[in-house]
Parts: sequence; C-alpha cells; structure tokens
Amino acid sequence: MRPLPTVDGADRPFWQALRHGEVRVQRCGSCGACRFPATLFCPHCRSETSEWHAVEPTGIIETWCVFHRAYFDGLDVPYTVIQVRLDCGVRLFSNPVGVEARALHIGLPVEAVFEDITADITLLKFKLRKAQR
Amino acid sequence: MPHPECVAVVGVGHTRYGKLPEYDAYELGLWALKQALADSGLRFEDIDGLIVNRIPDYQRFCEIAGMNPSYVSITPGQGRFSGICIETAAALIRDGLANTVALVYGNNGRSGGDRYGGAGDTYGSGGGGQWFAYGMTSPGAFHALMARRHMELYGTTADQLGTVSKTFRDHAALNPSAVMRNPFTLADYHASRYICEPLHLLDYCLINDGGVALILTSGERARDLAQPPVHVRGYGMATALAGSSFPPDDFWRAAMRKATAKSFRAAGITHNDISALMIYDNFTPTVLFSLEGFGYCGEGESGSFVTEGHLALGARYPTNTSGGHLSESYMQGWALNLEAVLQVRGACGERQVKDCAFAHYMATAPVVTSIIYGREAS
Repeated sequence: MRPLPTVDGADRPFWQALRHGEVRVQRCGSCGACRFPATLFCPHCRSETSEWHAVEPTGIIETWCVFHRAYFDGLDVPYTVIQVRLDCGVRLFSNPVGVEARALHIGLPVEAVFEDITADITLLKFKLRKAQR
Repeated sequence: MPHPECVAVVGVGHTRYGKLPEYDAYELGLWALKQALADSGLRFEDIDGLIVNRIPDYQRFCEIAGMNPSYVSITPGQGRFSGICIETAAALIRDGLANTVALVYGNNGRSGGDRYGGAGDTYGSGGGGQWFAYGMTSPGAFHALMARRHMELYGTTADQLGTVSKTFRDHAALNPSAVMRNPFTLADYHASRYICEPLHLLDYCLINDGGVALILTSGERARDLAQPPVHVRGYGMATALAGSSFPPDDFWRAAMRKATAKSFRAAGITHNDISALMIYDNFTPTVLFSLEGFGYCGEGESGSFVTEGHLALGARYPTNTSGGHLSESYMQGWALNLEAVLQVRGACGERQVKDCAFAHYMATAPVVTSIIYGREAS
C-alpha cells in the first residue's frame, strides 16, 4: 500500500479542492500571504485570520531529485520528486507527469495535474507547460 | 595570563565507533565521559555543569553516572546541536553559571535501528509526513535537492562531490578510530549505487553507534590540567528556520556569513590564520555549501576549490582529517570538534596538520554554528 496523505486534518480544504480540479491554499486575512500546509497563525504577520483561496495551478520547478532507494511500500523506484514554487509563492514537493528527470531544469514552467489515487484522494502533480509569451 | 573570559577545552574522550549493541546511549555517553575525564585529569566531582545530547534523559544519565552538577540541560539528537552545546558551555563558563562543563553525547542509532527516511521521518520542521504520498522523505533527499540546484546554477559536478568523499576517506585511512578506512577511486565513487540521485551511497554519512565527550573550563583553570588547553577563541551562531521545511534559496549563506563574522571577530583572526577545517559532512554537498558560506571560496566556486585539492592533508586547508562523518563515523559534529581539539594540541599522529595554531569547526543547516579553536588564549 502506497503512503496516503491525511486528508481530514487541518489541510482538508486543500484536499477537497483537488477533488474538484482546484488548488486552494491558506491565505492570510491580514497580510495576504499564501501558505501551505495549514497553520493557525500566519508565519509572516502572525494573524489568526485566514481563508482557503483558489490560486493559479501554475508555477516553476526549483529543483528535483530521483529516489533509487525505496522508503515506502507501493512506490516503485526510481521515481522523481520535484520542488515546485506556485505563482502564489507557496512551495510544494510533488512528482512530474509525462517528463523524464533528465529533461528537467530549474525554472521550467509547470501546471497542475490532478491525479486520483483512491476514491477519496487526489494528488497534486505537475506537467510541463509552454511558457507564456 | 589568559583573558578572564577565555574558555578552553581541557578533556576529550570517545568510545569505539561502529556496531556496539551491548551499550545503550547512556552507557556510550558515560564511556566517553570517563575517557574525557581521564584525558583531562579531572574527576567526576569537578564537573559542575552538564549538557547531554541525544541521550534520552538527563536525570537517568546523572543517576547512572552518580553526578549532581549545579547546571544541567538536555538537547535533541540533531547534529546541529553539537555546536550549540559547545557555544552554550562557553557562555555558561564565561557567565559563571558553571566552572567546568561536560558535554556528553551518546548515540546508539545503528544498533537501535534508527532510520533517516520513511514512515518515521520528521526531518524538516517535524512535518515530513506531509509529502510521503509523493515519496518525498529523508535528509538525504533534502540535500540531493540542494545538490541538484547547485549543479544547475554553478555547473558543480558529480566528480567534485566524489572528490570530497574520496579526500575524507584518504584521511580516514590514517585514523585508527575510523569505521571506513579503505581508500577508493572516483571510478568506485561513480560505481557506488545511487540512494537519491544525484547523491550516491558514498555521498552519505555513516550511521554508527558511539559516544563523545568534551570538557570545558575557564582558561585560568585550564592551565593546571593534564593536557595543553585548546581555547575556544571565537564562536558564532545564526539560523535560517523560517520556511525551513524546504531547501533555502541561498544554501544557508546568509546565516553562515553572520556566524562566520561573529566567530572571527571574537577570535581576532582571519581565514588566513586557519590551519585545519572541520566541516559538518552529513552529505558531501554540505561541504561545498560550507566552503562558500563560511568564506573559504567564492559563491559557486566550491566544486573547483575541492578538485584543486585544497582539502587534502598537506594542502592549504586540510579538512575533516579524521575522515569526518563520511568515513570516520556520524557522530553528529562531536567527533569533528574532538578532532579540531586534537589537531590544535598536535596529537593527531600520522594525520597531524603541521603547526596547527587554529582549527575551524563549522556546521550548516537551518541552524548554523562556527567555532574557532586556538592554541593560545589570545
């Protein structure tokens, strides 16, 4: 069995949004900074008010690595993990879809792919996107 | 006459390193402390300050060791805490909260089956589990991500990472305490399996059992003890903890610069005065980031700095002369500080750096520490 995320905790709105093909992250009601995973207080201004805000499902690749050692049952090696910075500033670890690790480089634009892995859980993965001109 | 605020390391001790299933972390720590006391000529009763690291419980440790220090504290089993403990001990002594402080580290991680990655992994703000569904886990992968970025930005190569590991192995060959002492070639490095690409097995430190203890006291007291004192001439600390569940954009450079400036200013010396480097080498890329951030080469130049040979014994900046975490044993910074002390004492035998007046210990992570050891008090 592959490792599954906890979808009914503080990040529940994020996971629910993925089911509907949307990316929602927490946005501070005071300073407007976006954050994920969820925290009660904003790390930038320490405000306690926030909302789950739909953001552009686009970003760039900051770096990546390829796992050759298996740490989890159900995840076959080798697999690639990418570090993505969404346009809203939030960082995520994820997996690339439809692209080999050797074709990656820093700054490549990516867009969300919503991958259903169980009846209740959708993961947020990324594919390459043509740069906007 | 030593400066009244001067602090010195007066005793060092360590266990064997390797697989020691008959000892738990408390016993490994106590074994090392006995060695350090014997080295210094001090007795248990002389220790009035104690900080334990990675040992699960300070009360149990003191019960086992039969100690009643005036000051006691405990720190988590993360490598960044070795530097923190040493700097704290110096401050305790300077402030008069304790006269003679023992720092005791015990790690039974190998026999205890500690895993750095997978279901129990909490590396990175304690929240690693968030990313398990994508397979992201382990400090090694975190450093692999940073290494890849360094390669992309600066053209750093696998050969350069391999040279770090190979150089430290060559040093370990001269260290009877080192767990891995067989030299290898760059071809062997390339042939070693990937754990998390771009990092190979030989880019990873060695998880082992062991203990290390250091004893610090005032420069004044240090004069009458068994060993020549090694003075803590300068220290500095800085952090990059905000946002630290992801690799830092600047490879922790800003924090390293702060800690470096503070430690060198206190020591009253420059990089030119340093004879030996002890760099926290959990993974080979950390050595590259450290050479840049602590000011031994320019930004992005660490790869070529390494392949030019500067880290080897006999070269300008012999580094991790014990073999470090990569080849001696992963004693989470403690054994590197011990090696710095031995180098300044001139007690390193075959691997002694000639005329080592100053050695520099540095560790980079979301907490950065920089410690300068010197033979003279000031």
